[in-house]
Amino acid sequence: MVSLVNLKDGDDLDFISVKNLNFHYEKGKYIIKNINLELDNREITIITGSNGSGKTTLGKLLMGILKPISGEISIQRKNISQMTLAEIGSKIGYLFQNPEKQFFTHSVQEELSFVLKSKGLELEYINKKVDNLLQTFQLEHLRESFPLKLSHGEKQRLAIAGILVNDIEYLILDEPTTGLDMKRKYILTDKLKELNKKGIGMLIISHDNEFIKLLADRKIKLDRGEIVEDGGE
Amino acid sequence: MKMEENKIDPRTKLIIVLCISFLAIIVRDLVSLFQLLILTLILSIFFGKNFKSSFLKFKSFLYIIFAIAILQSLFSNQGTAVFSIGKFTLITDYGLKRGLEFILRMMIVAFSANILATSSSREIIQGFVQMGMPYELAFMVATGIRFLPIMRDEIRDSVIAIQLRGIDLDKIPIRERINIYSYIFMPIVLGSISKAEKLAISIEMRGFRAYDSRTSYNQLSMSKLDYILISIITVFTTVFLILYLY
Repeated sequence: MVSLVNLKDGDDLDFISVKNLNFHYEKGKYIIKNINLELDNREITIITGSNGSGKTTLGKLLMGILKPISGEISIQRKNISQMTLAEIGSKIGYLFQNPEKQFFTHSVQEELSFVLKSKGLELEYINKKVDNLLQTFQLEHLRESFPLKLSHGEKQRLAIAGILVNDIEYLILDEPTTGLDMKRKYILTDKLKELNKKGIGMLIISHDNEFIKLLADRKIKLDRGEIVEDGGE
Repeated sequence: MKMEENKIDPRTKLIIVLCISFLAIIVRDLVSLFQLLILTLILSIFFGKNFKSSFLKFKSFLYIIFAIAILQSLFSNQGTAVFSIGKFTLITDYGLKRGLEFILRMMIVAFSANILATSSSREIIQGFVQMGMPYELAFMVATGIRFLPIMRDEIRDSVIAIQLRGIDLDKIPIRERINIYSYIFMPIVLGSISKAEKLAISIEMRGFRAYDSRTSYNQLSMSKLDYILISIITVFTTVFLILYLY
């Protein structure tokens, strides 16, 4: 766990705060049961648990994609029920389990630039940022490729690059290593560590033990919607 | 082998849905359409559909239906003005009536089609086949029906995903918003094509159309109740039509 000393500007010990959170899709069948949680924006927190334990549901609740049955979720002490999805998305980047859901355009380059263009930013700034991300995620040679025709690993990298186009403060990644080979997994690990050093906190939903060992500051285990373990790796 | 006993045959449901939808399209007066809607709701409760959950399912479609109805009343210039700005008439009583008719008609078609959802897709295919439709065609129709809710979910997911990229759809100018919506349709259309391709490969690999003639272990058989229901709905449709037309 990260110690409480040496706090810097922008460090937030409870960047995301969850209080008495409950959720069900079907009445009576609770997927998330009375979860209380505080997530620090300097830590990399990993959520593990068997299939159906509620990991992805918890991630979607934190992003405001699903609405809680009861309980409260706050980002920087602001209740997310008072925030739009776009406001949440500008602070927290979310990687879907299926990265294809995040692609909207006909080229890799356009996929990274269209959000910035819609915000009316200058073309020179956009091009610089896009080039930088393409280089970082080794997608330069695929600049003109059609996103849905990429391999799964390439799609995963493009989806993460797409999230980082916004200057986000936190990342929630749902199974980011699915479909990545060992080499790409290590590259992704390094990139995530680098982002964390720059002050971006992370919540990563993963089953990948090696990946967890390399990254986790804190590991939370879910079982049938409840936190059964919470501690340092 | 018989399908479960005391269960209404999907062919009966199909005939009921066809009769009600046919009447909804032919009838052009508000009172008759309203009567048909009440009948449809009673029938869907009779077939075990929960009214509240059906209504919630159609809520997103209802917004579109209401929007079209308002547009329809805005663009019809017959009748007397109900609301106008200066010399420019926006809504007429005729336009309002047409708009309401459209809402009722669409609700009847949607709620009656919902009756079919009380049978599984396998039963519906079998129903079509035993009515003489080629199996391939029946399979395509049932698969098409199955894809509709999936497409609805994909549209919702895409709208969520684009907002999570930091784009506030309510705050951007209308021209830019139309542009963004065009982005949303790209993954939906391509995703559907890709799903259809995968489904085609998958069913071919499982021996679809491997033999010229296809037999079925499950056979539907109509009960007395089915014949009674078909007779009632046929007589009702004929009488309703005669009374309405003459």
